[in-house]
Amino acid sequence: MMEENDNIGTPQEPPKKHNKFVQYFINLGARIKGWFVDKYTAVKDFFCGLFHKKTEEEKALEYSGPQLSRGEKFRRGLKSQSGWLFVAPALVLMAVFTFYPIIAAFVNSFKQSYSGMTGKFNGWGIDNFVRVLKGDTGTGGADFVQCLVNTLILTFISVPLSTLLALLISVALNSIKRVQKAYQTILFLPYLTNALAMGAVFATFFKIIGTQNNTETVGLVNIVLGWFGVDPIDWVGLRSPHWQIGSLSIPWAKYVVTIIYEVWSGLPFKILILFSAMQSINKQYYDAAKVDGASRWTVLWHITAPMIMPQISYLLVTGIMGGMKQYSAIVGLFGVTMGQDYDMGTMVGYLYNYIELGQTGYAFAGSLILFVIIMIITYFNNKITKKRTTYR
Amino acid sequence: MSNLILAGSAEGWLVALSVLLIIVGIVAIAVMSVRIARIVRSMRTPQAVVGKWDLSAGDEGFDAEKAQKREKTKHILKNVFVYIFLTLCALLAFLPFYWMLMSSVKTEMEFRESVPTFFPHTFQWKNYWMVFHQVTSTSGANASFGQILLNTIIVGLLSTFLGLVLIVVTAYALARMEFKGKNILFALMLATMMIPGELFTVSNYITVAKAHMNNTYTVLILPFLVSVYYIYLLRNNFMQIPNSLYQAAKVDGLSDLGYLIKVMIPLTAPTLISITLLRFIGTWNSYIWPRLVNEKSWQMITNWVTGGFVDRVQATSPWGDNWSIYDKFYGDSQPLDTLKMAAVCMVSLPLLVLFIFCRRYIMRGVSKSGTKG
Repeated sequence: MMEENDNIGTPQEPPKKHNKFVQYFINLGARIKGWFVDKYTAVKDFFCGLFHKKTEEEKALEYSGPQLSRGEKFRRGLKSQSGWLFVAPALVLMAVFTFYPIIAAFVNSFKQSYSGMTGKFNGWGIDNFVRVLKGDTGTGGADFVQCLVNTLILTFISVPLSTLLALLISVALNSIKRVQKAYQTILFLPYLTNALAMGAVFATFFKIIGTQNNTETVGLVNIVLGWFGVDPIDWVGLRSPHWQIGSLSIPWAKYVVTIIYEVWSGLPFKILILFSAMQSINKQYYDAAKVDGASRWTVLWHITAPMIMPQISYLLVTGIMGGMKQYSAIVGLFGVTMGQDYDMGTMVGYLYNYIELGQTGYAFAGSLILFVIIMIITYFNNKITKKRTTYR
Repeated sequence: MSNLILAGSAEGWLVALSVLLIIVGIVAIAVMSVRIARIVRSMRTPQAVVGKWDLSAGDEGFDAEKAQKREKTKHILKNVFVYIFLTLCALLAFLPFYWMLMSSVKTEMEFRESVPTFFPHTFQWKNYWMVFHQVTSTSGANASFGQILLNTIIVGLLSTFLGLVLIVVTAYALARMEFKGKNILFALMLATMMIPGELFTVSNYITVAKAHMNNTYTVLILPFLVSVYYIYLLRNNFMQIPNSLYQAAKVDGLSDLGYLIKVMIPLTAPTLISITLLRFIGTWNSYIWPRLVNEKSWQMITNWVTGGFVDRVQATSPWGDNWSIYDKFYGDSQPLDTLKMAAVCMVSLPLLVLFIFCRRYIMRGVSKSGTKG
């Protein structure tokens, strides 16, 4: 009995294995051949159809209704295309506000000293890009490299940090049985807030308010740090400490404030996604693990983590995308000038800065560079996440 | 340590916070030491741990009752630790809201005390009245709250309603109707989702300025009416409705539009409600675009919050002429933080109330779409 089963189950002789290099070219050849064969059959069918005289039976199968006049045919044809009428409003709006701007951004960023209002420009070239990257715009606006560095540092610290914290909280949330909903609701509250309004509240935690009338508030955070013997730090103000690397300034105190705010405001969404993913894991896995006597950490690393890997990678990708476009939180915390001399500028902040200065050429160039950077990050994201998320 | 207690004795809440921190620390140390002790023990006598379920290890070292008790204690300890951790997180998540509410009713003097009070000594509801009646300030013109609220509500309602109609109609056409080039159109729409929205803003700004549409409601509504993601979401929802329903409706003599209104919309109501709520929240929170294209009195509520608030109001207050209490200390040109906090409250609280009533729809919508509007 057993032997019979084994005989049935034995695999057939595997195909001959070439080395990787040769195999690649064999596959490539097969693919090219397939492409031509497809095209050939399509063309052959088309021409055969043209010269083929239809028999009476085929005609009867094709159309059995009454003969239509030309006008009626046209009307019916038009009616079958009435879907265009439904999508027309959306299409018109998208043409004006989405499709046209894409083309305009690509064209206008190559016009030198371009003024959006008058449409005048001074020849074509890559002058805008060179000046933006060099920081040589001559208008006293934000510096591109500073903005890029700020955005990258803030994004690549705050996103992994908040994802890790969200993972911890959702594991904790998943392991309790009572008042789960209440905790979930409270933890979700920060999501619904306005970045500017809450940024202002966070600024009061860190702000040193002047020393008038012999009263001085050093802010909640400085008081807590004071218990451990740390001198008050001016977190968000003019005397905020920073490191200087060449022309680049690293205002670390402001980074800390921004990262704390971003973790706080980014947590709710991440907890919501991770927690609902954990809830939907089949309970049988856990029962099986219990029977096998697996410890809690083993369960976490070998069951829970792999099962929610797609969600984690989704959160990392969307988090990084969102982080590259951050702006409102910076304005809420540091005001419209984005810190002192734009030292907390972000890439989106850079665009708006130059729109407001009336230098649309630089704004176009900046937006195109932002687009390219986001595309590069998307590409690497896809590459990494495709490898990791095998449990999808 | 003594310093900590001393500082805390001034204010009850500092004591509470520090006690909480100490408890968390002790529990963490306890849990860690239990773990470390177990690891050390396992290193000393490997077979004793490995043979926990191994009958060959012998019965003499294994006391079932004791083990059960130990398991139980461990379980309780773990639960306590988890609850403390979650409570701490919830407190930290809620702290900014609490601080916002309390700061908004403090007097400016109390707000600037060196040790901030956790609960205001005196409630100054006047702050709200002052914020409500801000018309212009010396530190940059700011519009009145009434005007701004009107703007926000008109733009919010119009953009939500028109946007919803547009989304439903487009999604219906893409899901149910057959026309040439449908798939190409849909692919093109989806492709635009890849491109960051900031790329459009610069061109749109120029378009709007050239069309002389600055300082209108139209300019706040039109560019954001079409939202490709919601069209995609709703189309998928529509596709899930079985085709047999459509045929049944046709037999009963329902037109395409009738089918859309009477069958499809009720069936996809939860998604539609989520989309409506998220769109309204998105409009409420919009900041950058209104700031770029419109002047102060045409902007939205978030723009209003970023302005400076001073205590000079151009109206007679119900408290008589003596309304300007801060003048002698700070002058009338300095923005006051308490007033700002009151403004922040007025902007944030409607959203929180909305959340309390529509929690289910908002959370579902968010987990589906992952956007704010």
